[in-house]
Amino acid sequence: MINKNIDVLEHLGLEFEKAARAPFTEFRHDDNTAMPAELRNWLVRLRLLEGVPFANLVADSELLPQESIRWFYLDRRWSDALVQGALSVGTVNSDDRIQLDAQYTAIRAELDTEERNVRRRKGVARLTGQPGPLTGFLLRSAAVSGWPGLHVRAFNVDPEEGDDARFTEDDPRRIRLLRLERLAPAVLLCLFDGIPKVVHIEEPRQGIQFGFMHQDNGNQRSASLRPRDKSSFEYLAGDGSKDVDVPFRVGSSGVVDIRRLSDALAAHPETGASDGLDSAEYALQLIRFPWRQVFGEVQVPPISAMFRATIEYESMVNATFKL
Amino acid sequence: MPVGEGKFKLYAKLPPPLEAGLWRLRADQHFEAQTPETELDEHDLHVDQENVHLRIRSPRYLLPPDQILSTYPPANSFGSYGSRLPQVVIKRRTLPWERRLVGAPAKTPWFALVLIAEGEAKLETSVDVENCVTADVELEDPEELKEVAKGNCLVAKKSLIDRVFPTRRDVDLLVHAREVDIHDTELMMGDDDGFLAVVISNRLPLPGKDAEGNDAPVKYLACLINLEGQYDVLLPRSPDPAPAFATEFLAKTVLVQAQAAQDDHLIMETALGPARAGTNPADLGELTNPVPLAAGSQGSHTTRYQSGAAAGAGAKPYAGSGQWSAAALARNTSAQVALQMAESFRIVHDYGATPFDKEYRFPVLLHWSFTTTGDTTFRSLMTNLDSRLLGDVGDPKPLSGRLPLEVVESGHVGLAHQTREGDRVRAWYRGPLVPHPTKNTGADRLKLAHSSDQLRVVIPDGREDLSLATAFETGRLLTLSQPSIIAALMRWRQTDYHAARLHSFLVSNRNFWEELLGIGFEKIDLHKIGPLAGRFLADAIVRNPERFLGNPRPRVTPGRPLEFDGQATVLLARGLGLEPALFTGDLNKVFNGLRDVQIPRDDLVAADLGRIDVREALESDLDRQRIDLVSNALSNKLLNDNLTGPAFPVTNRLRVDLVDDTLDVILGDSIRPGSTDEDGS
Repeated sequence: MINKNIDVLEHLGLEFEKAARAPFTEFRHDDNTAMPAELRNWLVRLRLLEGVPFANLVADSELLPQESIRWFYLDRRWSDALVQGALSVGTVNSDDRIQLDAQYTAIRAELDTEERNVRRRKGVARLTGQPGPLTGFLLRSAAVSGWPGLHVRAFNVDPEEGDDARFTEDDPRRIRLLRLERLAPAVLLCLFDGIPKVVHIEEPRQGIQFGFMHQDNGNQRSASLRPRDKSSFEYLAGDGSKDVDVPFRVGSSGVVDIRRLSDALAAHPETGASDGLDSAEYALQLIRFPWRQVFGEVQVPPISAMFRATIEYESMVNATFKL
Repeated sequence: MPVGEGKFKLYAKLPPPLEAGLWRLRADQHFEAQTPETELDEHDLHVDQENVHLRIRSPRYLLPPDQILSTYPPANSFGSYGSRLPQVVIKRRTLPWERRLVGAPAKTPWFALVLIAEGEAKLETSVDVENCVTADVELEDPEELKEVAKGNCLVAKKSLIDRVFPTRRDVDLLVHAREVDIHDTELMMGDDDGFLAVVISNRLPLPGKDAEGNDAPVKYLACLINLEGQYDVLLPRSPDPAPAFATEFLAKTVLVQAQAAQDDHLIMETALGPARAGTNPADLGELTNPVPLAAGSQGSHTTRYQSGAAAGAGAKPYAGSGQWSAAALARNTSAQVALQMAESFRIVHDYGATPFDKEYRFPVLLHWSFTTTGDTTFRSLMTNLDSRLLGDVGDPKPLSGRLPLEVVESGHVGLAHQTREGDRVRAWYRGPLVPHPTKNTGADRLKLAHSSDQLRVVIPDGREDLSLATAFETGRLLTLSQPSIIAALMRWRQTDYHAARLHSFLVSNRNFWEELLGIGFEKIDLHKIGPLAGRFLADAIVRNPERFLGNPRPRVTPGRPLEFDGQATVLLARGLGLEPALFTGDLNKVFNGLRDVQIPRDDLVAADLGRIDVREALESDLDRQRIDLVSNALSNKLLNDNLTGPAFPVTNRLRVDLVDDTLDVILGDSIRPGSTDEDGS
């Protein structure tokens, strides 16, 4: 029943005003907004170039040589045209087009914010605000095929804490990933929501490696292990003074004598080997850190070094206008 | 508690509560009841013992492909892996502890990852699972339903086991469990919980050296072998010659000789040489897909040996390379890759064989091979990447007969273009990925186009720029390929038309709707306007009923005017609700008839009339009505008699509408109240 104590007129007015101020900010995946949910989800995916043939992204294989990483800005005019093409499927007559004209601004505004929320983690507030530039990279390398599950992180500042600094995903210094996908076994596409200053590409952590530092001497290879503290994971001696030589089984190539290795580690009680080495402690000693490649220039190189056009603008103008 | 991003936890063991095998669950229930009157003991409230037999199953001969998260080094790859221990990461964290090893301490992993260099041991593929284990070894619970009919097995001599396999003590140290954060990874990897089991090998895949001491690539096979029943074959502890702190590279010469001897048959086309690539298509499915026993029993698949001369297409040389192709992702092809990887380990020459060297067979749950060579590591790959902006064609390449790519400073690329007329021209194209920031805000955004031709641009050099037109057409075609999206578009447009009409109707009566719904009514969901307006109306009526509702209907009314359109008797009968026949005949008959007739009477009204308040209310209403009627009649009479005629044009006109007017108006207007007889009946 109606609450007679509230002036309905005024109350409704307030509600509508509120609605007018912040249209469609919080909605579920399948709620209809300026457009039906199904269409919205499809257009957002198109916006992030999902399903677009690779030849349309990179027009010639020469533009992405083997073992290369190519950085780019995303041309919104192109992705807008893509969306317009998708919308044109529903227009048949001029009435439809007038209708679409009237709707288009709202559609575009909503896609601008929605594309930033595609990879939003559960519980993180919906991102709003004006759309900024989108950037990204294409990586074509044996590293993509050989190490599936690369970690990519981007920052909009050079982290003061150094390259090892860790930030949560919603930290303002982090630049969010909009898309990270292998387009082909050896080609990785990554889209950023902003212009990163520093990008880290890291070996997959699931595939953390175990091994030693090795040294070759003629037909022989010797290896050593730098013991770590069991509780802090720090090296016992960073200078290598406590390094342990790795014993190998005699007569067989490369087979590690784990019993004697654990005896050797037991000489350093911090490793936890003295009371019997268990498999977790053994793995801990063997871990080799995943390699993290940091992209980010201390000195920004001139654009001419990073992008060398085969036809210079000047010569093209001269040729065109017969100057 | 989740591990933080970028961190992981190591666990020495994560054993399951129950191991695989037959289990019996026995449940006893004991009841006793005590009330003030009675006391019931166990015998009175007896519940039978419940015996449930459980069989817990776990893979034994084949690791389900979906359980493998990753292998290191990557399968079929080339690289410098000489200082890293091979490992396999398994999704199910409890898997290594799901079976019991007889003779081993409790909670010892039941498998181990062994690394075999080319030529050291033999991998047999597509073997009946009964033959996957050494002949005199009986596995625990042999009746257990096997997950596959055919499996792979590794045939290794005791001397090799002593040299290469982990010792009994090592087995436990080589398997651990790990918990990682699954968040900032490529989502498609998708492990469900972040808990993984990791098996490390005990052997470094060292590269080989040839006779001159140069590095030579060595192919290794990593096998995850089932140790069940054969734990005691392993060395109890590492052999006792004092440990060497250096290890020999593999002498590649031996391998090359072995290889050469094998190839001779092929080169010389001697018929008896086994063909190398005996890839039997029938083998493919079973290697990766578990086959139920029933299906597997319908025929036997063995590795096919072909003669070198007759081999034809079957005898292809090993063609593995570091490159991946998209086709390798297909299931059958990956099976082929697995076979191909196993292939060089299937035929092994017994060089340096010792007599009385017993052969053992171990079921292989998973195998892959890789080649140690050069110095390709993730680190070397990443540090040597050519990092530039998209559009750069890289360093100048030697002439290849192909025209150099046209790239202009804006990032546009010159491409061949066949016009609709059929002319072959060149056009400019730039994809969505550009080397420079583009103007992307405000008025620079692309205006809405309705057809791709609206986006074609001719630039001064005479060529067309087809970038945006291509984008438009791509979007259109992609959408046309999705029937559900087309349907959504159509539905949306239909409902939107409706909404647009409604909206224009609202806007054209803006003042009214603003008063009704408030400022900003255009923003409301149009579907909600109906209920909102209705609710508002109801509320307004409740608050000011007199503005919306008329006077209540009088309880007593004079009734409808009678229309004299027929016989008087018929009319009378109808008015009283009686049969017209009653009024025919002589007066006596009518009188008698009327006396006997059943008067139709509303029971409800009759009952209510018994109440004094109802009766009084009706009585007073009736009186008022009677007064009204009489006054009307009187006033008509008065008007007729005294106030009409040519001298009174006003009342003359009034008289016509008299019936609809109230007495007060008429009297107040023209007649003094005192002149009417208000008490008349």
